[in-house]
Amino acid sequence: MKPTLPPAAVVAAALALIFSAPQVAAAADAGWGEERAMPPPISFADAARLSLAELAARGRRLFLAKFTAAEGAGRPGATGAIVPTKAEETGLPTFFRTAGPDSNACRGCHNDPEPGGAGDFVANAFVSEGFSDADFDTVDPQFSNERGTPALNGSGFVELLAREITAELRAQRRAAAAKARTSGRKLRIALSAKNISFGHLTLHPDGFMDVSELEGIDQDLVVRPFSQKGVFTSLRQFTINALNAHHGLQAVERFGARHTGSADFDKDGVSDEIGAGNITALVVFQALLPPPIAALPQDEAARAAAARGRALFSEIGCASCHMPALPLESAVFTEPGPYNPAGNLRRREVKAPLAFPLNAKGLARDEAGRILVPVFSDFKRHVIADANKPHFANELLAQRFVNRDVFLTARLWGVGDTAPYGHRGDLTTLRGAIMHHGGEAAAAQKAFEALEADDQRRIIAFLQSLKLAGAGGSP
Amino acid sequence: MNAPAATAIALTALAALMSAAPAGAAETPRYVAERGIDHIYGGGWEFFVGGGVAAFDCDGDGREDVYLAGGTRPAGLYRNVSVTGGAIRFVPAADTGTALDQVLGAYPLDIDGDGILDLAVLRLGENVLLKGLGNCRFARANEEWGYQGGAAWTTAFAASWTKQAAWPRLFFGNYVDREAPGAPFGTCADNRLWLPRAEGGYGEARLLKPSYCTLSALFSDWNRNGEPDLRLANDRQYYRGGQEQLWRLAANGTPRLYGRREGWRKLTIWGMGIASHDVTGDGYPDYFLTSMGDNKLRVLLKGPGKPVFGDQAHKRGLTAHRPYSGGDILPSTAWHAEFSDVNNDGHADLFIAKGNVEAMKGFAARDPNNLLLGREDASFAEAGPDAGLVTYARARGASLTDFNLDGLPDLLVVNRKRPVEVWRNVGLGSAQRPVPMGNWLQLKLSQPGGNRNAIGAWIEVRIGTRTLTHEVTVGGGHAGGHHGWVHFGTGTAERARVRVRWPDGKWGPWVRLYTNQFARLVRGEAVAQPWLPPEGREPKS
Repeated sequence: MKPTLPPAAVVAAALALIFSAPQVAAAADAGWGEERAMPPPISFADAARLSLAELAARGRRLFLAKFTAAEGAGRPGATGAIVPTKAEETGLPTFFRTAGPDSNACRGCHNDPEPGGAGDFVANAFVSEGFSDADFDTVDPQFSNERGTPALNGSGFVELLAREITAELRAQRRAAAAKARTSGRKLRIALSAKNISFGHLTLHPDGFMDVSELEGIDQDLVVRPFSQKGVFTSLRQFTINALNAHHGLQAVERFGARHTGSADFDKDGVSDEIGAGNITALVVFQALLPPPIAALPQDEAARAAAARGRALFSEIGCASCHMPALPLESAVFTEPGPYNPAGNLRRREVKAPLAFPLNAKGLARDEAGRILVPVFSDFKRHVIADANKPHFANELLAQRFVNRDVFLTARLWGVGDTAPYGHRGDLTTLRGAIMHHGGEAAAAQKAFEALEADDQRRIIAFLQSLKLAGAGGSP
Repeated sequence: MNAPAATAIALTALAALMSAAPAGAAETPRYVAERGIDHIYGGGWEFFVGGGVAAFDCDGDGREDVYLAGGTRPAGLYRNVSVTGGAIRFVPAADTGTALDQVLGAYPLDIDGDGILDLAVLRLGENVLLKGLGNCRFARANEEWGYQGGAAWTTAFAASWTKQAAWPRLFFGNYVDREAPGAPFGTCADNRLWLPRAEGGYGEARLLKPSYCTLSALFSDWNRNGEPDLRLANDRQYYRGGQEQLWRLAANGTPRLYGRREGWRKLTIWGMGIASHDVTGDGYPDYFLTSMGDNKLRVLLKGPGKPVFGDQAHKRGLTAHRPYSGGDILPSTAWHAEFSDVNNDGHADLFIAKGNVEAMKGFAARDPNNLLLGREDASFAEAGPDAGLVTYARARGASLTDFNLDGLPDLLVVNRKRPVEVWRNVGLGSAQRPVPMGNWLQLKLSQPGGNRNAIGAWIEVRIGTRTLTHEVTVGGGHAGGHHGWVHFGTGTAERARVRVRWPDGKWGPWVRLYTNQFARLVRGEAVAQPWLPPEGREPKS
C-alpha cells in the first residue's frame, strides 16, 4: 500500500499548529485528580489516521509533558541501557544525574531557545553505553560521559539525508558485489555519496568483504546521524533510547512483552508505558522542527564580514568536513524508517508507513531540483583530537563502537543560537571550539590560527549568522 | 481410587502443568510449507532408523545445499537455489558422485583440509567418505584416505581434531550386528574410532567396546577443559546391560569410559539423537537426548570437575513426552533434535523430529514434531501449532538452517516413506510478506591448518550484559548434521562483540559487529569480514 501524502498546505497548517500551541499542554485527557501528562495511548494505525496537524500537536504535547510515576516514569528495575537490562538492587534514588532517570520532560533539556532546541551546560546529560555490568547502576561519574544537549531543529532533514546516503552506499556495494561474483575477481571500490567519500570497500568473488578501509561509517554502511558520536539510526531509535535513559519511560516496542516477556520490565507497577502511536507522534514532532537557516545580520559591515567569513571558512578547510549543504532528493519523511533494527518499529511491521513532506521553504535547490540542506556536516565520524589538542578527547568511555577521540562532524546549522559548544558544552565561545580542533581537523585549525585577527572574526561572524530560524524559531 | 482413574488424574494434572502459560511467553514465528523435495527415505526395518540430512554449501554460493539419505533408494544431493528472503527452492544436482544407496545419514566436514567440504556417508554396509571436488561434485576417497568402510549398520558419526592434527578423528557408531547369534537383542556391533596418521589419511581403527547400539554421537567439551569427549546416545531397545556413554580419548587416541567413580551416572533410554546448547547459562553445554517418551536434558550438576549429569527436562519444559495434538496420548518417539534461535529473541529454541518407529504399539502413531521456544527464564514452551508445523508424517532427520538467507532459521524434515518437507520461516508475516523478528548474526570461522573451519571452537557473542555461546561441532542430531553459518538471535541488540576460543584453546580478540548480517571471523584478524548474500539483496530490516 502506497502512502498518501498530505498537501503542502496541510503541512503548513500542521507547523502553524505546532508552534502556536500553548507552551504547556495540560493533561486534558486525564480526569480530575489524575496525574498523567501524556495523552492516552494509541496504536500506530490510529496515529496514521490522525491528521498531520493532530499528530504533530500530540507529539509536541508529549515533548513538553512532565512524565509522572502514574504513567510509568522511573525505572526501578531496569537500567538506562538501550537493550533491556535489569538493574541490580542498588537502592539508587528515583532521579539521578548520572545513571538516570535525570529529567522530567524532553524539553527539560531541549529548551533553548524553545522546545526542541539546545540546552545550557546545566542541562548536560550523562551517557553510558559500555554494558560493563557496573555501568548503569552506579553514581560514579567515571562510568559515563557528560554531553551537552544538541538542538533537534531540522532533524527530519537530517534523517532523510542519512537514509539517502545509506541507500546510495549500499547500492554501490550491491552492484560491486554482483560484479565481483560475475567476474571472479576481487573488486576495490571507492564509496561515495553526496560528494562525501566514505573510503574504500573490497569485495571478493565469494561475497566476503574487506571493510578495513571504510572511513567515518560503520561496517554495515548505515549512517547513524543522531547523538554526537553518530550512533543512532533514526529519530525513533533516539527517542526510545532517550525516553528510557532520561525518564524511565519504556517503549512497548522495545521493552514490552514481545521482547522482554514482561509488560512491566522496569517493575514500576505500570505496564505498556508508551506505545507505538505516541512514539510516532514524538518522531513527527521532531521531524517537523524547522531547519535552521542562515540569517545574515542587518548591519552592512557585519553582513559583509559574515559573507567573507563564509568564504574563508571554505578556504581554510573547515568546509571539507562541515560541508555547507548536502543535496536531498526527496523531502518526504516516512515513518518508520527503512533501517530500524528490531526493538524499534520497522517498515515490515506496519501495513503502510506514515508519509508526509517536510517543509523545505526557504531552502535553496540545485539545478537538478534537489533541496540543498544547509547542514554544515559530512555525516561522518572523525578523529577530532590529538596530543597537541586533547580537549575533545576528554571523555572516559568509548560509546558503542566509537573511540573516545572520534565524533560525528557537528552540524553547524543553528550554531549561532546554540552556545555553549563542544560535545560537553564546556566551551563558551566559537573561537574556543575552533581552537580545540585537532586530529583530522588539525590543518584547518592551524590555518584558522594563522589568519589575521579580523579574518578570524569574520569566520566567527559567519558562524554566528547560522541561526535556528524558521517557523517558530528565532528570527 | 482405581489405578486407571489415578493415572487419568495424574495425566490431567501433568498436562495442566505443562500447558500452564508461564510468564514471558516467547513470540512464535510462522512457518509456511514450501514445495518440498520429491525425495523419500524408505526401506525395511534397517531403515526404521536413520533418514538424516547433511546441510552444507557444496557449490560455494553461501546458500546451504542438502544431501538426503534415501534408505533403499539412492541418496540425493539438492542444490539450494532460493531467492534471498524469498521462497525456498531445491533442485537435484546432477553428476555429483553421491547417488549411493543403503544410506542412513551423512555429515559434512572438511576431512582433508583442502577448503572444500567432504561427506561422511553412513550406510547399511560399507560407509563411504566422499571427497568434495567443488561445485557439488564428489569422489569416493576410502582408498585414497586409507579408510575401510566396513560392512556394519552405521547409524552415528562424530568428528574432532586434536590440537596438533591436520586430519580429524572419525567416530562411526554402529547399530545391531544382524549376523550375530541371537540378533537383534543384545548384539550391538562394535563402534569404531579412526585416528589420523601424521602424514594424513587413516590407518587401523580402534574399537570402542563395549558398544551399545549407538544412534547418535557427539564430540563436545562438556567441562571446557579444551579436550572434547565423546558422548554416545544408545538404544536400550537392543542392548543388554548397556547405558548412555561418555568416552575420554587420550592424546594418543586411547579411549576410556567415564565411570561411577568419576561421577558418571548410569542412564538407560532409547537414545536416538543429541542436541547441545548451554540451556542453563552456566557456561557449560547441556545435552538434550531424544528417546521414546523419556527425552532428557542432561545438565552438569557439580561443576566441571566431574561428569555428574542430572536431568532438567521436566524443570525446563522439555520433556516433549507425548503428542500435543492429534488425539494420541501414547508416548512420543523422538529422533533428530536441534537448538537454534528461530525467533531471534536471544534465547535458543529446540526442534524435535517425531514419528513412530513404524507401527510400534504402545507409542503414538500420530506424533507431530515439536518446536519448543526458549524463554528468558531458560524454560521452554510448545509452539508447534502456532508456528503451523503440525504434520503427522514419521519424521526422522531434520535441519534448522536459514536456507533463504533472511536471518530466520528455516526447517527441512526427512520423513520415512513420505516426501521431504521444507518449511520457510516467515517471522511474523506470511509467504507473501515476511516480517522479521529480532536482530541476528550469522558467523563462519576460518583458521590456518587442516582444521580450517575451527571445529571445536567456542564462539561467544556479547549483547548487553548477556553472553551467547556456541560450540562448533561435527556430530549429534540423528544421522545428519549442518555445517555452515552459525546463527545467533540477538533480540533487540543492534550490535554485538564477538570472540572465539579457537580449538587450541587460545582466545581471539573481541570483534565488533553490527547485527542483521553475515560475517566471517578469521583467526588473527581483529576485524570481521561481512558477507553479502548472492543476489546482493539487503536482508530486510
